[in-house]
Amino acid sequence: MKLKDKIILWSRLKSPWIIHFNTGACNGCDIEIVDALTPKYDLERFGILLKGTPRHADVMIVSGPLTRQQAKRFKRIYDQIPEPKFVLAVGTCACSGGVFDGCYNVIGGIDKVIPVSAYIPGCPVRPEAIIDAVVKLIKELEKSSK
Amino acid sequence: MSKMQIPLGPQHPALKEPENFMLVLDGEMIIDATVNLGYNHRGVEKAAENRNYIQDIYLIERICGICSHSHISCYINAVEEIAKVEVPQRAKAIRTIVAELERIHSHLLWLGVAAFELGYDTLFMYTWRDREQVLDCLELLTGNRVHYGINTIGGVRRDITKEQADEILKKIKYLHERTSYYVGVVTEEPTFLARTQNVGKLPKDVALELNAVGPTARASGIEIDVRKDEPYFIYDQLDFKVITYHSEDVFGRAVVRVLEVIESIKIIEQILKNLPEGPVSVKVGWKIGPGEAVFRYEAPRGEDIHYVKANGTEYPERVKVRAPTLANFQSLPYCLKNGYLADAVITIAAIDPCMSCTDRAVVYDIKKGKKEIFDWEELRKYSIEFYRKKGVKFS
Amino acid sequence: MSELKKEEEILKEIKDKFSDAVENSIIQRKSRIWIDVSENAKIDIMKYLKEKGYYHLSTITGFDEGEKLGAIYHITNHKIIINLRVRTPKENPILKSVLPVYPSATSYERELEDLFGIKIDGLPEGRNYPLPEGFPKGVHPLRKDVKLEELNKMLNEKCIKEE
Repeated sequence: MKLKDKIILWSRLKSPWIIHFNTGACNGCDIEIVDALTPKYDLERFGILLKGTPRHADVMIVSGPLTRQQAKRFKRIYDQIPEPKFVLAVGTCACSGGVFDGCYNVIGGIDKVIPVSAYIPGCPVRPEAIIDAVVKLIKELEKSSK
Repeated sequence: MSKMQIPLGPQHPALKEPENFMLVLDGEMIIDATVNLGYNHRGVEKAAENRNYIQDIYLIERICGICSHSHISCYINAVEEIAKVEVPQRAKAIRTIVAELERIHSHLLWLGVAAFELGYDTLFMYTWRDREQVLDCLELLTGNRVHYGINTIGGVRRDITKEQADEILKKIKYLHERTSYYVGVVTEEPTFLARTQNVGKLPKDVALELNAVGPTARASGIEIDVRKDEPYFIYDQLDFKVITYHSEDVFGRAVVRVLEVIESIKIIEQILKNLPEGPVSVKVGWKIGPGEAVFRYEAPRGEDIHYVKANGTEYPERVKVRAPTLANFQSLPYCLKNGYLADAVITIAAIDPCMSCTDRAVVYDIKKGKKEIFDWEELRKYSIEFYRKKGVKFS
Repeated sequence: MSELKKEEEILKEIKDKFSDAVENSIIQRKSRIWIDVSENAKIDIMKYLKEKGYYHLSTITGFDEGEKLGAIYHITNHKIIINLRVRTPKENPILKSVLPVYPSATSYERELEDLFGIKIDGLPEGRNYPLPEGFPKGVHPLRKDVKLEELNKMLNEKCIKEE
């Protein structure tokens, strides 16, 4: 691997930047995601930063079941994230539609539209589970880069 | 004068889609605003008719993650009224404890979010850290931090032990101290006052006309609170005040919420020191009705109303839910008008909207004839920068 | 019963003043009155109630009874809730807007139009609520003849066609 690539990979592993997207959630998972940034759990000590724009992100955290009106918008935002990108489906609703599966305005889990790297179940997800998932993802990246 | 419109809503700049708010600007002032809603529509009411009453408990709880207990208590009270069920006092007391814990967590969450929108990151971190105490209490009582699932038709699913009660009393004593500190911050911190006083004004007569509810209405001097007007659970046996304030602005809404946290702490202490004995639930059959009932509940954001119609089967005939934020949205255009664009973010946040904040704004300026695209994050930064130039900033 | 005195009083006043318009009425319990009224007299009754202090429109619930559609207006003075029920035939459902009396009714009336297909006479032009743009016209999800599985199938096919 060239030196330039090694540096990029190292910075991705050491400090993944995250964008958060809500595809019609009840906000339960969203507040647990924001909670992960607060002093008790403190995601920032892992170098994880929450960013507002997809172009700066490595990892997309998605919460909520995919509603019909969000589907196209969601795909566009996913396409805007530069490669390599990873998607975490946070919460049972993002994994499979959850309790809203069968509602007429809900398509289902987010994997109906985009590929998902990791599924984190829970209703809502515990902040510890989010940290655990991000750490596991980083380990996978390290392994695959060797 | 050609009116320029600012759509503020969850959309991508590349897609031409309808937005949530349309703001019309003249210079820095908003001269008109309209509200369009519905991007988070999932179809819960239809789904509720296809599931039985017990399954609906878990569906309706997830209408909102922040006030899930409110929605479910309201729904269950309506169902219990149709089924003519007498819920035991101990169950009502436990429901009240969870309801007040939810109110505390919701108001602290709001204070943190409002602080974040203003650029006051320290307060955001403080309030959310202290909020963890409440979530610990809820987890102790119910097993989960959000979506407690404590209610069932006929009572509650878990009992409370003496150790749990003592632990909760200890935690809320700590919270009492911290909230007194926040009351001080909200009422005395000069930057907070500068950003919230006289912002988003909603006069009392307009609030009455537009049927505002909850802290938004109480900050305009209207003394309404379903816990006092139509007491449910054991509120008629409890001693607490309805907090109102006269300033009719965002500052008033902050004061009302913070003082309500203190009242909720007092309520929980009263109940835990005098918990009624007895069973925690009664058995209710699967089939409910026929009959219909309407129930109102004081959620942290205001009056929540549910209507349930039963037809004697296991499935409800009709379930209608009107969350409090929908009632307050009608007053939002008025609050935004004649305010600065820089105040739009905190004015919208002050009614405590229960919707995801991935919103965007397209800003047109009449005088410059220019069109810019903002998203919520940029609008927030714009408002912080606007006030920083005027010398108002959180150091 | 002296404990339902206030409820009985207000119900009597409405019945006396609007005797032709009131079809059915019941005091379900304390603080709950249910009245079936005719659509024509609805606005006058509401104006009267608003003067009497029932200024708060909590919400409007639409319903489908098979042959008829209708709406229940939940109006309160914060102590008593008066539920006014009106009906309209399903072949041509029209209800008058209550915006002149209760300006907060906009979203609730748009819901009746979207989810039940009841035309609200007097509702200003505006975006749909709550259904998203692109939802098939003429399909009203909360009507009883719309079955959830079929609705889901139809919407899924429409989505696949668009991609």
